[in-house]
Amino acid sequence: MIALSRRELLRLSGLSLASGLVIAACGKQSGLVDDNAIASLGQAPKITPLAEAEVTDAVLLRTAASLEYNAIETYMTALDLGILTGDLAKVAEMAKRFTADHQQHADAVNALAVKLGAKEYTCSNTRIKDLYLAPAIKIITEDGNPNPAMDIVALAHAVENLAAETYQSVVGLLTDPILRADAIRIGQQEARHAALLAQILNPGLQGVGPTSNEQTGKPNIAAVPSAFGSLANIQLAIGKPKPDGSRITLILETPSLNSLIYDSVVCQA
Amino acid sequence: MLSDNDINLLAFTQSLELTTRDLYLTVVGLKTLSEQEGALLAQFHSHHVAYEQSLNGLLGKNAATARNEKVFIDFSSKLSKSSTPWAQLLEIENILVATHAKTIESIESAKVAALMASIVTVEARHAAILATLTTSDLSAALDNKAIALVAS
Repeated sequence: MIALSRRELLRLSGLSLASGLVIAACGKQSGLVDDNAIASLGQAPKITPLAEAEVTDAVLLRTAASLEYNAIETYMTALDLGILTGDLAKVAEMAKRFTADHQQHADAVNALAVKLGAKEYTCSNTRIKDLYLAPAIKIITEDGNPNPAMDIVALAHAVENLAAETYQSVVGLLTDPILRADAIRIGQQEARHAALLAQILNPGLQGVGPTSNEQTGKPNIAAVPSAFGSLANIQLAIGKPKPDGSRITLILETPSLNSLIYDSVVCQA
Repeated sequence: MLSDNDINLLAFTQSLELTTRDLYLTVVGLKTLSEQEGALLAQFHSHHVAYEQSLNGLLGKNAATARNEKVFIDFSSKLSKSSTPWAQLLEIENILVATHAKTIESIESAKVAALMASIVTVEARHAAILATLTTSDLSAALDNKAIALVAS
């Protein structure tokens, strides 16, 4: 208990009274009149609630199919640019084979989705395209980029890693064990694609395991970068080098809740 | 807690990883290999050690304690007859990919299936790289025609 003397008690009372008068005076000077209205500017937009969206096995399969079309579009762009020539001519052959693989994968996962009563999805994933692929291609094809051909290989490598990671991650999300096995049978081939493209970007046996750039300390591209399949984001450095030697780095991530192909999403090819 | 079914499947998987670990060990120090080839084999060997140990941790007292002797003898015989180990190691990696995928079909735990998936994607990378050391044929690196082994 705090003991106050009579003198201290009187001083505190006076201080409280003075504070109250100051606050009351400020209120009067502000001239506010309480009319029970809240100030507002404009009108709040009407909110349209999103459709109920459940992450089902079919949604995960349709999402995987959409990524296959992203990969196909990436290779089509790479081939259409006509820059995979000279030493990279063999990459053009790889791109043709990988495109065929991705079409097979898309057909396979769509067939599984249809078996579950869902509709097939034969378009690329819009969010993946808008967020990662279109900006990457814009950067790669800009004037002044000294090596667009190698950058397009780097983009393809990133897309293959994205596909492999996506299939690996859905194994833990799918409810049907048979579908999990189907998913990883496709995912393992995406990983093979990625490993072969990594060897184009960082050739030879020294490019298989993890290494880092001596100047920047950043990890080099590796065909087998870790003991277990990673689900981490994928870094893609492309474009014209800046004065300090660095380049624009895009960060790619596997599809999340806002990029899944729910039942309500319609392909508008 | 793992079901009896998952324990049996994982123990079989672990025995195959122990086998592959030992197969790599028989070739990792070959004098006919270059320094970089030796380093590659050491890296892949270390991965199989990691797989075996992660499965060992999951299984605890139910862990497998021995490799699959039949598979080991079969492959070590093939390796001893070949001047380079690449084709045989490619075959065993492809068998592992096929077998683990088949195992995932029957595993009940989604978390365990996810662990297996993270192994499969890297063993597929091993296979792709080993294929490039034997041939320039793309299909050798991409297509897996291996037949899955079945737990007896």
